[in-house]
Formats: sequence, C-alpha cells, structure tokens
Amino acid sequence: MEKSLKLLFSRDDFYHQRGYWVLARTFSDAGIEVILGGIQTPSEMVTTALQEDVDIIGSRIMQGDPKIFISLLFDKMKEMKIEDIPVIVGGIVPKEDEKKIKMLGVKAVFHPLTPLDSITDQVKNIGCNYVRKHKA
Amino acid sequence: MLTREIIDEIKDAQNIYEEKLSEIVKKIPGAENGHTTSSGIRVKPLYTPADIAQSNFKDDISFPGQYPYTRGVFSAGHLARSASIRQVTGTGTAEDTNKRWKYLLSHGVTALAFVKDDGLGCRADSDDERVAGMVGKCGVVLDTLYDYETLFDGIDITRYPVHMIAGTAYALASYLIIAEKRSIEYKTLRGSMSNFLRNDNECLDIIEYCSKNVPLFNYGYLDMRNVREGGCTAAEEIAFGVSLAMAESDVLIERGLKIDDFLHRITWFVNASPDFFEEAAKFRAMRKVWAKIFKERYNAKKDRSLLCRMHCQTYAPTLTREQPFNNIIRSTIYSMAAVMGGVQSLSVNSFDEALSIPTEFSALLSVRTQQIIDLETNISKVIDPLGGSYYVEALTDELEKKAMSIIDTIQSKGGAFNAWEWMCGRIRKAAQKTQKEIDAGISPLVGVNIHKLSAEDDLQTKAMEILDKDPEFEGLYKYDESIVDRQVERLNKVRKERNDGKLKETMDELLVTMKEGNNMIPDLIKAVKSGMTQAEFAGLRAIAYNQPGGGPYVCAPPSLLA
Repeated sequence: MEKSLKLLFSRDDFYHQRGYWVLARTFSDAGIEVILGGIQTPSEMVTTALQEDVDIIGSRIMQGDPKIFISLLFDKMKEMKIEDIPVIVGGIVPKEDEKKIKMLGVKAVFHPLTPLDSITDQVKNIGCNYVRKHKA
Repeated sequence: MLTREIIDEIKDAQNIYEEKLSEIVKKIPGAENGHTTSSGIRVKPLYTPADIAQSNFKDDISFPGQYPYTRGVFSAGHLARSASIRQVTGTGTAEDTNKRWKYLLSHGVTALAFVKDDGLGCRADSDDERVAGMVGKCGVVLDTLYDYETLFDGIDITRYPVHMIAGTAYALASYLIIAEKRSIEYKTLRGSMSNFLRNDNECLDIIEYCSKNVPLFNYGYLDMRNVREGGCTAAEEIAFGVSLAMAESDVLIERGLKIDDFLHRITWFVNASPDFFEEAAKFRAMRKVWAKIFKERYNAKKDRSLLCRMHCQTYAPTLTREQPFNNIIRSTIYSMAAVMGGVQSLSVNSFDEALSIPTEFSALLSVRTQQIIDLETNISKVIDPLGGSYYVEALTDELEKKAMSIIDTIQSKGGAFNAWEWMCGRIRKAAQKTQKEIDAGISPLVGVNIHKLSAEDDLQTKAMEILDKDPEFEGLYKYDESIVDRQVERLNKVRKERNDGKLKETMDELLVTMKEGNNMIPDLIKAVKSGMTQAEFAGLRAIAYNQPGGGPYVCAPPSLLA
C-alpha cells in the first residue's frame, strides 16, 4: 500500500469516549490517517466520508441502538452512492445486534477489550481490500 | 510514644527485613518485590511506623469532621447515615423510569438518580431523525416538563434526595417548577444535578441563581468519575477535579460571588477503581487536598466550604463481556473501598455493564451489594477503619503530594480551562497504555487475558443466554422501539396543548436575557412552564451564544468527559 488508509472515525454520543480515543491514537500510530468525525449522526458521517474520500468508516456505538443507527447509515450511504465503503463498528453491541448489523453489511464488530493489534490488523485488511477493488 | 530514637531503631530493623525479603523474593519466579499503583506510585511490600514518621496526627490525620478532613467530612461518618444507595437509573420513557424507581425504592434504595438518554446532547426532539436509535435507550428520554412531571410522579422528593444526571438548566427549571407545584419552598429544596463545572453561562447561571435562591441544592458538580474512566490516575482524579473547581471559583469570584457563597454546594462524583488500597487512600487524600487548597489559596472561611462531599460510582472498564457474573465480584470489591473510604453516596455497576443497561434483575443485585456490605460486615461501624494503617497513611501522603504537584503544573499553564488539551492528552495516552498492558498480559484481567474460556465453556454467558430466551424474564435489556412511538405521542400532546402565543413570548424574552448576559433561570422557568421543549431551549442557546448546529449543551469542551 503506497498511500496510507483514510479512516473516518465517529461516535454516536459524548459519554464514555475512552475506546474512541484509544483507537483513534492506535490507528494513527499504525499509519492510518484518521479523520476525527467526533459526534456525528449517520447523515453527517456520510457527508464527511464523501468530503474526505475515506477508505473505511468507523463507528463507535454505545448510546444508540446498533440496528437502527447502522440501518440509517447504510440507507444514507446508498443514497449518496458510497455503499461500497466498508463500515466497522465498535462499542456496546449485543450478540443479536452484531448478527443483524453484519447482515446489513458491517464488515467487523469490535467489543470492549479486544486487543488493539487484532483490531488494527483487521481494519487494515478491510481497508486495503476496498482500496484494491475500488481505487486501484 | 515514638521518639526519633525508636523510629531510627524501627528503620534499621526495616532495612534488615527488606534485604532479607529481597533475597527470598529473588528466588521465587514471578514474585514481585513491590509494585506500582495506577498513579505510578512505587509501593513496598511492607510498611512500618518509620514510613509515616513525618506525619503529624493533629495536622495531617486528625478526626472525622475536622480539618483537614482526611478521615471524613462529617464527625459521625456512616454511623449517622450509611452511604446512600443511589443506583443510576434511566430507561425508556419517564413512565418506565418512574416504574423502575418505585421498584428500587421498594427494595431498599435510599436515594434516587436518573440519567437522561442525551441523544445529540438533547438538541433534538425525540421525533427528529438525528436522534434515531437513541431515544430512551441509554437513559430516560425527557423532552418536556410533562416528562419530568411524569418521572417524579408519586416520588417524595423531600424524603428521597434526587440527583439529576443532566447538565442542563432545563432540568433545574423543571425540578423547581415541580417543587413549586408541590408547595415546597426553594429555600428548603434538596437535591442535586450534574452541573459539570465549565466556563459557560448556563453553568454559571445555575450556580449563581441557586446560591441565592436554592441554598440546599447541590448545584455544582465535578464529574471526575468519568474522567477516571477515561484513563487518568487516582492522583489526577484528585488534581483535575480540584483544578476545575479552582478555575470555576475564579470565574464566579470575578462575577462578584464570594468563595463561601457557593463552594459548599459543589459536590464530587468519584470513582471506585480496582486498586483497592490506593482507592481508599485516594478518598482520604482528596478530602485533604480540597480542604487545604481552598483554605490556604482561596481563604475560605466557613467549614462547610472545605468539605469534599462525594457521590461514588464503581469502575466500569474492567467489567467484562466474557464471564459477566465475575463483574459482581469486581463491583463488590470496588464498593468496599468506597465505603471504607467514607463516600456519602454510592452506585454499584451491574454485572451486565458491557452488554446493556441494567435490568431489574441486575440492578437489584447491585442494591444488595451495598446492603450486604452495610448490614453484614461491620465495615460501616468504625469511621475511617483503614486510618492508622502504615500503608494507607503512607499512600494518602504520597497521593496528596502527587496531586498538589499536578495542581501546580495546571496552575502554571493558566488554570484548568487553559490546560484542557494537556489534561485530555494525559488521559488518553494513559488509556492507550493501559489497554496495551492488558493486551500484553502485563495487567491481568480475569477472563480476558488470563483464565479465559471459549464461548462453549463460558457457562456464565450460557446461563445469561438461557435466561434471556425466557419470555417471562428480562435477562438482558433490549431496546424496545415502541418507546419512540410512546414518546412522540407525549411530545405531540405537549405541542398541542401549549399556548403558542405565550410560548413565543416567553422564548423571545429568554433569548433576550441570554443575549444580554443576564441570569437565564427565571425566564427559563417561564418558558419551560409555557411548554418549551429541551431541544427548543438548545436552539435558543445556539442563537444566543452563536453555536451553529445547536452547540454542545454540556461541558464545553466536552472532551474531558470520558
């Protein structure tokens, strides 16, 4: 990979941001260019993803219901024709919700305390696959 | 009587002991000769009177209810009143949370707290697409005064002090309106709110208004529990909190208030983290640092100003998704440190913390945790039971020193409001380091990096799945989307019944007041009475303070909250 991957990293609300910041730093340390979206609605995420031409969309979900949030996100992505950008989710995602959002198209779901290297490796793989297919 | 001579004798004997211990430990694989606490304090395996020889009982330790309050803010401590059992509660609509409150009260909670769902910082009404998926999910949805009234329906607020985990003046206004309707005079009204100390008019107006009109209400809040959750150390929990209070005090004093007008109504929200003795020492050091700083540097004259009163909630980042019942044990241990440390009020996290918000089942277990500690262990029968432990006294001193040093660093940067980015940087760096240590197995976390179980063998998770399948039993909280329909119905009822003319009049007046920099609370009360929603208030804030997109209603910058 010549160019570093570009990742939009947003969260659904302002409480309990530890995981968000730990991962933002970790992705950055691993050479990924992190666009800090901050607190964004699905609509706002799509706008930023388009503007920044990102390779991956990362969503921290804790306050919101994962099924509803991700459903909306994919609807907006389809509307703006960026449904191919891979989406990864981290946060509080019950088992059933994990199944459902993966069926909707989420590429990976990371639960609390997942080792950082494992997250970074998976994210890099997912991002590189996308870039190879869509940006080569 | 420990003379210099006796101390020296002890010191000599201690040196001999430490050499011997070192020899023994060297030969045991994996044994550690001392460890480092979460605050980076190097701790020995054994402490003696020689380690606290410089401590003066009268000046440094003293008695509960006496300066510097190391041993407790009140003379009788938990003898007079056990730590309040105050479970964080917030689920669905106001009706749902009211029901949960009544359930908890019937099982022995002694105080109440609610947390709002806070979707988008309450800048949108519940039928706005921008808060889709968040309405009543991680807290109670409160759009209007009608919602607050329903929440408090049948709740005796003179008997059960309520803490509102809401940083917005809208919550205060609603609470005051409800009190007025119940003929409770502002002068006697108790309760508290999470008015996170920050340099913005909403926060300052709340403090100013209440210091004059609602003197028994706790109107300032230091949320250091969540800052600790974000990754900082015990010493930083103390230092960042005190520094924030100092910065806020500076602004309030500039506005014309005296330190003794408001300081006593700033309360702390503190953590109870895994490092057991460091935590117990932390509460002691926190009280000491608060009292010393505000007496020596702010010249607070009244004793009540020097009391560091704490509501505590146990630590969450170690509550695992795997083997979730292990979390009951964790939360119990953290709670014991809090009770021994002398906190005024406690909320115990439930075992399903990493999975969802608490059910009746998991919330009740948390309540029982406190009740068992209080009633069965005799821990609360002695005030500051760890006082006098050579280790705990040494740790208290060390934490005090570290905290003071960090406070001075923050002051050298111009105070907490100017050192914000610096503080955030430290918190986040520490959080990343902690995670790396867990990943590397340096920091054991049972079920995650040691004593792990495959999904097949994790009987606790299996038990939860079985419970969860039972249609008659709420094993795990699941978000019920009908909450939104019910809430929108409530919202529309308010919109239909309010007088639009009166609403416009009161909102226009409120906007003028805010723009002119006058205290917003009286006009806010009028507007809330007229049916203004929480989101409509946020809209006015955006205009008055030029914050496009509605602005964050709480804690600008909010990034310190973790």
